Amino acid sequence: MTQAAIEMHGVNKTFGPVRALMDANLVVHPGTIHGLVGQNGAGKSTIIKVLAGIYKRDSGTVRVHGQELDAITPAAIEACGVHFIHQDRLLVPTATVAEAIFLRNEPHIGPFINYRQMNKRATELLKRYFDLDLDPRTLISELSTAKQKIVQITRALANDAKVLVLDEPTAALVSKEVSSLFAVLRRLKADNLAIIFISHYMSEIDEICDVVTVLRNGSDVGVVTPAEAGIEAIVQMMTNRDTSEMYPRRDVTIGEPVLSVNGLTLAGHFRDVSLEVRAGEILGITGLLGSGDKELVSTLFGQSVPDRGEIVLNGKPVSFRSPVQAVRHGIAKIPEDRRAHGVATGLSVGENIALASLDQMSGWGFVNTRTEAAKTEALIKELGIKTPDRHTMVKNLSGGNQQKVVVAKWLSCDSQVYLLDEPTVAVDVGAKVEIYNLMNRLASEGKALIFLSSDLEEIVEMCDRVLVIYRGALIGEYQRGEIDADRLLAAASGAQMEQEGRSA
Amino acid sequence: MTMQAETGRTRRFPINIETISNYVVIGAFCAMLVFFAAFAPGFLSGENLYNVISNRVVLLAIVALGMTIVIAAGGIDLSVGVSMDLSSMVFIMLIAAGLGGFVGVLGGLGAALCVGLLNAVLINKLKINPFLATLGVLFIGQSVQRLSTQGGVPIYLTRAEFAAPFNAIVRSSLLGIPTPMIVLALCLVAVYLAMHRSVFGRYVAALGVQADVARFSGIRVLFHMSMVFVACAVLAGISGILLSSTVRSYVPFAGDSFLLDAIGATFIGTAISSERRPSVVGTLLGVLLLAVMRNGLLLMGYNFFWQQVGIGVLVFVVLGLSFGLRKRAD
Repeated sequence: MTQAAIEMHGVNKTFGPVRALMDANLVVHPGTIHGLVGQNGAGKSTIIKVLAGIYKRDSGTVRVHGQELDAITPAAIEACGVHFIHQDRLLVPTATVAEAIFLRNEPHIGPFINYRQMNKRATELLKRYFDLDLDPRTLISELSTAKQKIVQITRALANDAKVLVLDEPTAALVSKEVSSLFAVLRRLKADNLAIIFISHYMSEIDEICDVVTVLRNGSDVGVVTPAEAGIEAIVQMMTNRDTSEMYPRRDVTIGEPVLSVNGLTLAGHFRDVSLEVRAGEILGITGLLGSGDKELVSTLFGQSVPDRGEIVLNGKPVSFRSPVQAVRHGIAKIPEDRRAHGVATGLSVGENIALASLDQMSGWGFVNTRTEAAKTEALIKELGIKTPDRHTMVKNLSGGNQQKVVVAKWLSCDSQVYLLDEPTVAVDVGAKVEIYNLMNRLASEGKALIFLSSDLEEIVEMCDRVLVIYRGALIGEYQRGEIDADRLLAAASGAQMEQEGRSA
Repeated sequence: MTMQAETGRTRRFPINIETISNYVVIGAFCAMLVFFAAFAPGFLSGENLYNVISNRVVLLAIVALGMTIVIAAGGIDLSVGVSMDLSSMVFIMLIAAGLGGFVGVLGGLGAALCVGLLNAVLINKLKINPFLATLGVLFIGQSVQRLSTQGGVPIYLTRAEFAAPFNAIVRSSLLGIPTPMIVLALCLVAVYLAMHRSVFGRYVAALGVQADVARFSGIRVLFHMSMVFVACAVLAGISGILLSSTVRSYVPFAGDSFLLDAIGATFIGTAISSERRPSVVGTLLGVLLLAVMRNGLLLMGYNFFWQQVGIGVLVFVVLGLSFGLRKRAD
């Protein structure tokens, strides 16, 4: 066997009371794409950050190309040829493409940067590896997320990378971009690079990885070949759970209409939308990127004021000019960007849960801390939020648990209508199931749910009814069991608009 | 399960690096008291301590309380000096005009309120970031002072005929406690309740941590952000009136010297909370720390310039230790 590119053995790391890594091992060989999978909180990010020198390990050995590293610093690990493409884009938005690629490695004449040379080499690299004609003087902020990823990878290649670590590289990419990224990775693999690939998308793991290390609760529980073991076995190793329980069933009688919308129009986004959602019902809305589904939900939450049409809540017409009014009327939104809009990561679990319902836990403007404690503790217990206590900062919780905090916040203020915008994006399989259970619970309590997702399978499995939106207009309505994911995709793409669309 | 066990252990042994890092400010304060008691002649005399508190602590603490609210909400107010000065100027001018102390105080507070409202409009309606908005107000406020005083000539009201309102404010006492200290105590209690016990304070904290989440939770972001700047300006205004009453005059730009101390005290104060958030108790400690440092060095024979060096070192030591230990704990 060849010399391993990365060897990590018996790595331990604790954060206060939380043991993030327990004797974890990771061995990656050159010329392979090595998947790293596990639920949120399993230790994927931690082991990568230990390797990157962002966290200091408590114990364990790390060898890069056979050379043992004692204390790792970000600069030292990069000097060993290990490059990281982190999930959050870590590029200076005001730099040009060429500047970003050659950051800290600028071609220069004396103290001056040789811009001509730099731009020329950037163009060559982008052309050679990605077959991409990109003006190297373009600003990073003007690039799509996919192109920014490419610039990051190019930077690593320009620095003579031997090992490439990609943390959720496809999270913000559309499928065409994903396949071109995969083509690049395969080419790099042929050049004998070692690639560590972290993803929540099991289909991607299956497609691209040669070997997979599965992490659970901070330890590696297996190193398998996806082609032999199969995805289901890997998922089971991750969760210790059978995939058939993925979409839990519910038994709910659907009640009266709670929210209905008539002829709602927001110029440039959607027009003449009419729909209703009943108590205990999960209504799915699906459409392609830019079809107006997001704007529709934002408008229902008061983020935009519609040009025409009316919103009727419990039989009474309402109009919202801001989320403040929507929240007062019992509308809750679980936003797509959880960390930016859903939870305040720097506040505690309890503070987050109470945020929308403080009025009900206070008298004369003062918070009744006893009521607050009782109510938030009860919700933490009820939803099974995994946290040492309610004073823990939300940033210390895993993604799935953060999402539960968002739901707890709305349960606390007794919202009637839940607008869920991609609630399961970037959470792992186990947390997804918990979120589905939570949705079922909300439905069984008589809440009305509107559910947006680009994961068509979960739309098909979870919703009582699905509406298809296409270029700002509702073009189809399907009851549960009437449609499968493939046909839904066809409908969302506008293929069956003529024949089958039963306009709602 | 592991988590619960671990939490239990943390409770039994509350002293770890993380907890220690929260006590750095208190430790520094005690160390300083001991040091100056030993080396600064007359430091512990009742007269000196009374002077420290009445001259510096009261005035700075009230301004710093306002700054604490603003910084907690994620903003900064560079115009507190202007609020102080304009309040002081209007107060003195009204008394000079013979309208008496009551009208003077109302006028002074009104002037400060106007500064706060202007900040609120600039920040919330015109969407200018707080740093630049209040910087602009700082410049304008300084010019307003020059324009209304022939280029910055102080107004002295030391004649006996004006003494009554000033004496009523700073030389009076209630149950043996001087009025300025009662004013400070009231401000402390009010701001403490507002920030740490009220719904308003929670919203302010949410705004400071993540304004978007607050908006998505149905909190009236603009309203609360405006209230924050108004409260800060009015508090600075109160301090301005106390200052003028003490020196029986209006000296243009006197308030400017409080700006950086108020910011410094607030940030020193963040070191006592485990979340590193501004707090009323923390700010008060920060104020005491700065005031004791200045006074102690003065008594030891070091002038204003050396006091500034002392303050600088103090900030480095306190924040360096506190944040450094904190980082080690992670």
